Formats: sequence, structure tokens, C-alpha cells
Amino acid sequence: MKENILIIGGGAAGMEAATQLQKLGLNPIIVEKSEKLGGHIAQWDRLFPAFHPAKDVVDQMLDNVKGVDVRLNTQVTDIQRDNNGFKANLNNGEIIDAKAVVLATGFDLFKAERKQEYGYGIYNNVITSLELEKFFRTGKDERINNPKKIGFVHCVGARDVKVGNTYCSKVCCTTALKQACEMKEVFPDAEVYTFYMDLRMFGPGYEDLYLKTQKDYDVKCIRGRVCEVSEDMDGRLVIKAEDTLFGKPLRMTLDLLVLMCSMEKNKSIEAIQQKLGIANNSDGFMQNKDMYLGMNDSKQDGVFVAGTCTAPKSLPDTIGEARSVAVEVFNYINNK
Amino acid sequence: MNQYIFHPFVLPFVLGMAFVLTYCLVGLVRIIAQLPKDDRKKLWRSLVTPKTAWANIRDLFGDCLFHVKIWKRNPILGYMHSAIAFGWFMIIVIGHVMLFTLKPLQGVEVEGFARTFTNFYYPIFYKHFATETPVFAFLMDFFLLVIISGILIAVVKKIYSKIVGVKRVTKFGFADNLVRFALWTIFPFRLIAEKSNIMAFWWLYSIDLMIFMCMLPFTRYMHIPTEALFILLQHAGLKAREPRKGYNLAQLYSCPSCGLCIDACPMSVNDKNSGNTSAYFMKMMRNGDSEDAKRIAETCLMCGKCVMICPVSIESCDIKWSQRAATPYYINSDHSYLDDCGCGDASNASNCKTPSVVYFAGCMTQLTPKIMRSMKQIMDAAGDDYEFLDKDGGICCGRPMLLSGKVAEAQAMIAKNTELIKKSGAKKLVLSCPICYKVFKDEYQLESIEIQHHTQYINELIKNGKLKVNKGDVNYVYHDPCELGRAFGVYDEPREVIENVGNLRKAKSEKELSICCGGSLGSFNLTQQERDEITQNSVNDLMFNNPDEIVTACPLCLKTFAKKSPVQVKDIAEIVCEKI
Amino acid sequence: MDFGFCLSPSSHVKIDSVDLTTFNHLKETNPDVNTCIACGSCTATCTAGNFTEMSFRRILLMLQRGKEAEAKKLIQHCMFCGKCTLVCPRGINIRKILLDITR
Repeated sequence: MKENILIIGGGAAGMEAATQLQKLGLNPIIVEKSEKLGGHIAQWDRLFPAFHPAKDVVDQMLDNVKGVDVRLNTQVTDIQRDNNGFKANLNNGEIIDAKAVVLATGFDLFKAERKQEYGYGIYNNVITSLELEKFFRTGKDERINNPKKIGFVHCVGARDVKVGNTYCSKVCCTTALKQACEMKEVFPDAEVYTFYMDLRMFGPGYEDLYLKTQKDYDVKCIRGRVCEVSEDMDGRLVIKAEDTLFGKPLRMTLDLLVLMCSMEKNKSIEAIQQKLGIANNSDGFMQNKDMYLGMNDSKQDGVFVAGTCTAPKSLPDTIGEARSVAVEVFNYINNK
Repeated sequence: MNQYIFHPFVLPFVLGMAFVLTYCLVGLVRIIAQLPKDDRKKLWRSLVTPKTAWANIRDLFGDCLFHVKIWKRNPILGYMHSAIAFGWFMIIVIGHVMLFTLKPLQGVEVEGFARTFTNFYYPIFYKHFATETPVFAFLMDFFLLVIISGILIAVVKKIYSKIVGVKRVTKFGFADNLVRFALWTIFPFRLIAEKSNIMAFWWLYSIDLMIFMCMLPFTRYMHIPTEALFILLQHAGLKAREPRKGYNLAQLYSCPSCGLCIDACPMSVNDKNSGNTSAYFMKMMRNGDSEDAKRIAETCLMCGKCVMICPVSIESCDIKWSQRAATPYYINSDHSYLDDCGCGDASNASNCKTPSVVYFAGCMTQLTPKIMRSMKQIMDAAGDDYEFLDKDGGICCGRPMLLSGKVAEAQAMIAKNTELIKKSGAKKLVLSCPICYKVFKDEYQLESIEIQHHTQYINELIKNGKLKVNKGDVNYVYHDPCELGRAFGVYDEPREVIENVGNLRKAKSEKELSICCGGSLGSFNLTQQERDEITQNSVNDLMFNNPDEIVTACPLCLKTFAKKSPVQVKDIAEIVCEKI
Repeated sequence: MDFGFCLSPSSHVKIDSVDLTTFNHLKETNPDVNTCIACGSCTATCTAGNFTEMSFRRILLMLQRGKEAEAKKLIQHCMFCGKCTLVCPRGINIRKILLDITR
């Protein structure tokens, strides 16, 4: 009989882990709380650094998990260890027995209204990076009316002790530059500014993306954190930041402000996480065994972690982790 | 001398008494001499002004003897204090009244100077030297027993402080403990001596009195004589000036180190920081302006809760402030640039029409645009013509500068803002930040311009029908900002406003007992982590009745709470705006 | 080699000979000065910076580059309003540090 492996979360990490586990001859079961698989990445339009349609990747992943046991609109309400491994109760009344558990619970996007000084939810023309992706996908957002001046704010909810997040969210810099280019494509006449602290273009082709923003798209990068947003008489946004390279505070009027919201640990899994005895690391994400050879292991036997539940990660990182977690689980089952 | 009129065992007492009286007299003269001339004049005037004279008498009895404030806080503690203080006072008074009716043993009478000398100790040891009428004898025994009952409570409190509702008590050194032990044993010794007339107990009784009185000036028990003087000085309307002189010196010695402020202080949430509370600060200041005292003076949040709870009404925040003001700086401020700045809107505004209301958001409110926007909508809905004074950034109100002890520098800002506000021609100034409100109320001379915090302004708009709001069914809890609540007693207006738009739930600690959010500009030294602990504690207190939302009326409290609160935190203007 | 003269004085910051006494002292009492990421929030929000050159970020840098006199000149404009401390994403106790520098 094939061993059951419970995968909590049906985003990129969950789907890819299930694909590989199935290939390795195990029986993965995905429990996904929303109505469809895909997670955050399914809400994205195109992916950095090469503007690859996210839909292509998601569709292929969906294709790969065909035949995997998937429970949608389902959540694990309780989980216990027993002699055979784990016994999980689902909110639809079902009970799943599994030899191992893979936590692929992903992240929550930082709630932009928590930084009130940025005016999200107060001023109409302040939107989040996620909302902008939706605009790219659907072409519809009432708040985006042919803007002439657009600003991107990096590190919203990241590297910020005032909201309790000291870490760098890793992907927002690249995403901001990608979105800046896309805005230029949609509104060629618009001036696009990004307000960054450090441009962390860490991956293959990312630096090329930055060069492209400068050579082909004329995106203006200003090194400084936006600290106040207000509204002028005409309903346009007035932002304050310091141009730290020039060494002077600046004021600027914008028609649209995009907040690059950071990744935070998915809080909805906290109760199950506690039942499994998985602690949080200093950034509030799930703690893995170690960051080199034990990145997929938790400190609890039979519980594995993959993807952004342990730290902010890019999509390639997440897929890589999902594949490695499959091997870890396979070895774990075979050595038992 | 005859053994019926003198015994050597009275000598320790006489010695102690002479010492403490001299000490107090010198201290009194010193404190009064240290007062600035104006203050001294104020003091003399207050002593003969019927109103203050009456207040003096009322509080000398009410506070020094009956400890009314402690009764209100906790009846057991109240009884303990008044039993000892009032009981002791009564046996001294009755003792002296008895002097006229005492019948000397063996009929030995003394006259002249000897009589004066014996009168000094007769009432204290009368049973050894004389007999008294039954009524007096009963009264003396009664009050002695009252004192002993108070001491019994004190002993129990020492062993188990929670019985009287106190979690943390002040930790004392050797001298304080010795004097306390002396105080506890004086009266039992007297009782035994009187009933048995065993010489050893008369000696013990007298030596105990000597220890108590000789050590008194060097311990917290100095508050007993000093408090009387402090009450007079306070009623004369004096204010803290130099950290360890004059009025402040009287305050420092009036602190009984009772430690009620330790539990009250928001910093005590971390046991490590409970040493930063006023009780310890006062003790350090009494012993000299040590580096530690200076550090605490700048660590304090200045929330004023210790002042509110203090049974002696010591203005410890003012003492800390004067300590800050005494710190020397070798770089002086230069705010001359303020002279040249026109400050946008206000000056332009006067060119067109005169608004009836001028709104000053303040620095902190610039970081909470939701408050500004809500205020704009509320004023629009009420149809008031208004002007935003600092829309493009204004000048700081001066309160933070004052809090750092720099008076002249703050005056520069106050002067400029006064000029701008007066220039607007408005009749009313509305503020959103209680930090601003405090300094505008205390320091600004705006003559006929009415100063309101927006809680008061909104309440007025609702009351006179200018603003119509709908009542919803959200359960709110209200946090009293320190500089609005404790500083000015603005407790009812915000609550009335909230009840107009939703349901008001109670916090665990409310109004004058509300706990500082932890964000206060008053503190310079607290680290972010220490502040976070205070915030968490305050949030827990607010969440006591499971409200849906936390409402406050201060941009700084709002931002501070937002970090730790499990529910949404909103300004009172925001929730009103939602219900227009 | 230094012959004791040159045609025009160099405008370089001579890190080798910078006197860091003030900054090192500040670091001891306020270890959080080292956590600054120079994002400029403090400068952008500064009430005094609205009218003057006041900039906490630059003051910190000036102290680290031996420009103490310039730094102290800027501090004179500070109003101690605390906005910088409130916006600082690193939780640096800026008001305290400014106060310490002026003492």
C-alpha cells in the first residue's frame, strides 16, 4: 500500500512537493483552504525577471498534480500523532491518516493599512503590489486612471521593527522593478519612480532587469524611504522622502502610489503549528532544523517544511525546496 | 532630683526629642530660605488668606492624621495609617492636656524651670511619675491600643503584602528597617511598661523613642514632619524649580516611600524596571543627585499616574522635570530660523476670509493621516468654516522640548505658533494631539481663543446638533491618553462621543488609572523593547472586556497600540466619521 | 610621502585620521546607532528639516567621518518633536541620541 503524506497548503510548494512525492511512489494528499490550487502565484500576472506569464507556470503545475488527492475548501482542524504517524481531522469531518506531514502553508501579504502614514485605505490612489498584479491581469482598477506620475515604495512591512518585521522580504525589489516596467508599458507617458533602501537584485537575470529599467524604461530609482503621504487640493498624493544620495528631503506629487508589501508568516496555521510543536524563528516564520542541510526538516520527527512558511522566498527557491522536501520525505519513509 | 519627678530613663527620649526638634527647625528654616522671594511671599500670603488657610487645616488633619486618600484607595491600609498617626497624635495631645490634672506621686510638685523640664517628658512617661483621672486613663489606654492594632496590620502587611492589595513594596536599607522596628516596638513596650512598671521596659521604651527620633531624619519617616510643611507649600501654589532645593526638598522628604506608585507605574510591568519608579527615585534624590537619579528622571514616561495615586500628592513628575532642566548642555539650540518661516497656509489664510476654527494637527498627527482626514470630514459635515494651520508641516508645539527640560528653546516655538494662530483670526483652536493640548493649555497665551481637543470639539458639535451621527453596534473600549485624561480630566467628553456612535465597554483600568501606551515622548531612555512590554500590558488591560475595537484620542497612542493590538485601533475622530 | 605642503588641500575624507571619539562614545551608550540603514525617514519627516538642513541621518554620518563641528551645527535646529523616533524603521532612539550628542 502507498503511504499517505499529508501536505498542508496547495500553493507552489504544496503542488510541486505533491508532484514529486507521487513520482516517488508515495500518496500525497493536499489540503487547501481556498477553493482552488495555486496560492499566491495564481494571483500574479507575470513573473520576474523575464516577464514570464505566471499562468503558464501555474497551469503546468496544475497539470502535474492531476491524479493527486486534493481537498479544496478544507482546513486541518486538529492533528495528533499516533502509532502509524499522524491523524488529522479536517473541517469537513474527514480524518486522514498520514505517515508524514509537509507544511507548505506559505505566507500572508503584509496588510498595508498597518503603515497608516502610507495612506492605504485612506487615499484612493494608494494600492498594493498585489492589487497592481490584478490590474495587469484584468486591466481593471477604478483607482488607476491614466496616472502621469507613479511611485513604488519598497520595504512596506519589511526591515521595519515598528511593525515587528526586521527581515528583508527578498522578492519585493525585483517585483517593484518588474512592475515599474509593466506600468511603463501600459502608460508609456507616465513617469515612474521607485523609492528603495537597497536594491537587492540577487538572482540570475535580476541585475539585467535592473539595467533594463534604466536603459529601456527610464524608471527613476530614488534611494530613500517614503515616510509621509498626504493629499493635495486636487486629490493627488504628496509624498515626503529623503533623497539620501543627494542628501536632501524631497516632496513629490504622484497620481498613484504602489506599496510593495512584504511577506509575513501565514497566521491561519498557528494552531496546527502549535499542535505539531513547531516553533517560530526570530522573524516569526516557522523554524526549520537548520538553514543548510536541514532546511526541509522541522525539529519534530515526521514533520517537514517547504516554501515560504519558513522565510520569504522567490518562486524558483520555493520550487527547489518543494522538490528537496519530496526527497527528504521519501528517505524518511524508506528508513522507517 | 527626686526619683518621683525624674529618672535617668527619660534621658534617651529627651535627647532624641531635642535632636529631632532642632533638626526639623533647621530644615524648616533652610527650606524656606531656599525658596525664591516670590514663592516666600506667596507662602506668607497663603497662610493668612482664609481660603488657603482653611485648606491647610483641612488637609493637615485629613492627610497627615486621618490619611483620607489612603482610606479611599484601600480601607485596610487607611486604617493602618490613621490608627498609628491619629492614635499617636491623640496620646500626645491628651498627654499634654493631662498635665493640668496629673496628680504627682507622693505629692512632689515642681515649680519654675524644673516644671518646664518635667513637662517635656511627663506626658510620655506619666504613669511612672503620676496618676491621672479615670477618663484620661481610659482615653490614653484606648488610643495606645488603637496604635497597636495599626502596628499589627503593618506587621501582617510586611509579611504578606497582597492582603492589603499591594503587589510590590519598596525595598529598604538597614536604617529604614531599624527605624521601622523601633516604631513597631515603641508602643508595645510602653504598654508593658505602663502596666507592669518594670524599669527595663521604661528603658526600652525610651531608647526606642530615641532611636526613632535620632534616625528619623535619615529615613523615610522624615515624611511625618515634612508632610505638614509640604501641605502648606503646596497650597501656597508653589511649583518645582531647582531639583533639590526649597519646595522640591520638601517634596522629596514628604515621600513616605509607601510604594503605591510602584504597582501603578507602567514601567513595573518588567520587574527589572520597577526600580525606576518614583518611590526609588525620590529616595535617590534625597540621598543626592546621583547618576542613577538623573537616569531615572529621563527614563520616566511622565504619564503622571504616580502623581495621581500618591497619597501625599507629591508631584514627582515635576521633580524629574526640574532634574532634567538642571542638566547642562554644551550645544545650545538655535531656532532663529523660525523668525523667517511663513508657514504656508496660515499666513495665506488671513489674506482671504477669517475662519472660525483653526485646526492644528501637530507633528504626530502628520503621521496618522486618517485622523486629519476624519477631522476634515467632520468639520465639513458640521458646516464649520475652518483652516488647517499645519497642513504642509508646522512648527512643533514645544511640549517635547519642554519635556527635555529646555524652557527657553520651547518658548521660541511657542511664540511663533502663537503668532501664527493669532494671525488666523479664528475664535477657536482645535487640536488632535494631547501632547500639543497640554502645552497649549499650560503655556500659550492665546487670550480669547478657545482651545479644544478634538474630543471636546466633536462632543460639542454633537451636543449642539451641528453634527448628526448614527449609533452603531460596535463595542469600543476607550484609552485615556495621559496628557488629556490625567493632565486635564477630559474623561467624559470622549466617552459621551463614543456612546453616540456605539457601545462603550470598560477597560480594566480607566480614567485616572489608565495605563500609558508606552509610546510617550516623556521618556528618553526606554528602549523599543521596554516600550513594547508596556504597550502589551496596556493593550491587555484594554482588552479586558473583549471590545471589537480600541479607541483613543492621541495619534501617538494610536500608532503605539497598532503594533500590539489584536483588534483594530482607531482614533475617536475616525469612528465618528464612520457614523456621519 | 608627505612633504608638509601641497598645492591645494585635498577634499577627501581622511578615514585614516578621523577622530571617532564622539561617535565611539555614542556607540557605547546607544548601541542602536549601528543599526541605521540610512533610509532617510528621519530626515524626510523632520519638523525642523522642513526649514533647515537638519538631518539625523547625515549627523550620524558626519560623526563617523570626523565632521563633528558640522554635525553639532545641524543639531542646533532640532525641535525634539520625536517624529524621527516614531518613523525610524530600526527603532533607533533618535531623540535620546541627539540629546546625548549635545551634552
